Amino acid sequence: MSLSPASGIGRFYKHSAKIIRFVRLGCTNRPFYHIVVMERRKNQHQPVIEQVGSYDPLPNDFNERLVALNTERIRFWLGKGAHISDPAAELLGVAGLLPIHPRTYMTAWRNRRKLAEEQAEAAAAGQAESASASA
Amino acid sequence: MSLLRYVRRLNALQGLQHCRREVSSAPAKSATLKYDQDPQPLFTDSETQRLLQSMTQLQLDKVFRKRTVKDNRSETKFMTNEQLETEFLQIIEKAKHLLKMPPIVKIKQDTERIIAKDPALKDFATTKYVFTDITFGLPHSERKVVVRETDGTLAYASLDTTKRMNQLYFPLEGRKSYTPRMFAYEELLHKCLEEHKYEFVLDRLTVQYEPYETEFHNLSARVFEHLNESKQFDLLRSTRHFGPMAFFYAWHRCIDDLLYDMIRRDYLHNAVELIALTYKIHKIPVEYTETLAKLEALHPTPDESALSELRGFLRRPEEKQGIEQEIHTAIGKTEQDFAADDISLKFIEEYIASEHSLKKVQLELAVQTLKEINLEKLQLFQGLKKAHGVQAS
Repeated sequence: MSLSPASGIGRFYKHSAKIIRFVRLGCTNRPFYHIVVMERRKNQHQPVIEQVGSYDPLPNDFNERLVALNTERIRFWLGKGAHISDPAAELLGVAGLLPIHPRTYMTAWRNRRKLAEEQAEAAAAGQAESASASA
Repeated sequence: MSLLRYVRRLNALQGLQHCRREVSSAPAKSATLKYDQDPQPLFTDSETQRLLQSMTQLQLDKVFRKRTVKDNRSETKFMTNEQLETEFLQIIEKAKHLLKMPPIVKIKQDTERIIAKDPALKDFATTKYVFTDITFGLPHSERKVVVRETDGTLAYASLDTTKRMNQLYFPLEGRKSYTPRMFAYEELLHKCLEEHKYEFVLDRLTVQYEPYETEFHNLSARVFEHLNESKQFDLLRSTRHFGPMAFFYAWHRCIDDLLYDMIRRDYLHNAVELIALTYKIHKIPVEYTETLAKLEALHPTPDESALSELRGFLRRPEEKQGIEQEIHTAIGKTEQDFAADDISLKFIEEYIASEHSLKKVQLELAVQTLKEINLEKLQLFQGLKKAHGVQAS
């Protein structure tokens, strides 16, 4: 069987558990992730079976986070029964490839709640200020 | 240490000021002439393509001129005549490939295509996410790029985001991920145009932009408009941009300067083709197919003439030529050419007399001058033939 162009050198058993996960590359204070397929039991910095994408968590000049996904290979590995790590599953959910991960919904409503609280506080502070100014 | 840093910062600031002094930041102006309809069906039509290719001509010296590329080496080989013949054919094919015209298509409008809306996802992140499908072996046009906005909408990315992502993950050679300064600043573009670097600008434009982009239409129209004023049409002859240029003028009914240039350079069949193209585009009820067919029978196509030019080098100088051939080389025209010129002149004069031509006086003068020169040549031709005792065929 010919290898796919982004194949890594990771060795794996036929029936071992595979996982689609992030590998943290980049450097201190500058994260950059590769999305890879590797054996589940291995450490992230060990050789991978295949790279299927990349994720840059820092927003660029246009204020967007860039994700590249090799959807064909991801679907292939999912079909083979590969597991997905939680952060990877969240990202694939946001991409519309999988159903949205519950944790994404949790983050969303927590963010909204926090924002609402902040706004309420700011409004209260504003009212207090205006009351003290009038008194 | 801090002193060093301070000096470095000062230097950087000075560099910045220097940059700013060079160009004013006025953005490039837009062109006045625009395609009001979709020009693509008319442009890709086989007859139009044939006309445009014939107008472009195939001057091998110009197509294979030395360029500023890394490798300009040439190879020397010993070959038999048969090998040389196949090589010639390959060269012509290569030249035709280099002269392939960039297409003229209408501007593609950006449509918003929403895949899913999920209000429960509002504020899940502070920035939007752009997902690019990097599946191997897909062409740029089929690559899917989707955006998840912060309000939870998942939609296909806009055209320029798609282009940016394509360039990021699958870079094209020569294309920049930012707008080149040459196209961004009016002053720099103007300078290029004033120096008549039309081919350079158009080449870079073709690399940087896709034919369906607004910038492509805008900038190429600016170049063609400037060219129509400076009248340096010969700079683009035998390049891939001559066809689109002629099409542009024909579409916008301003062919007269180009026509004048063609008549002055004695490319009468090209002039006829240009007029025929105008008639075709604007559906003017003048019969041109007959004239074109006649001219085609008398004139070789561009690749045929280029091939015969190549074969001309093979002939040994001491080899005996026919006397007709000698007369032809002395005058530069054959009997066929004179016949073709008569037909073309008639067609061109009809055009000048019609209401479609705008610069009648100038064109009439050019035609008159050409006629006089042709008459002299014809007299010389006949005289030479008579003197050598060649029978008139």
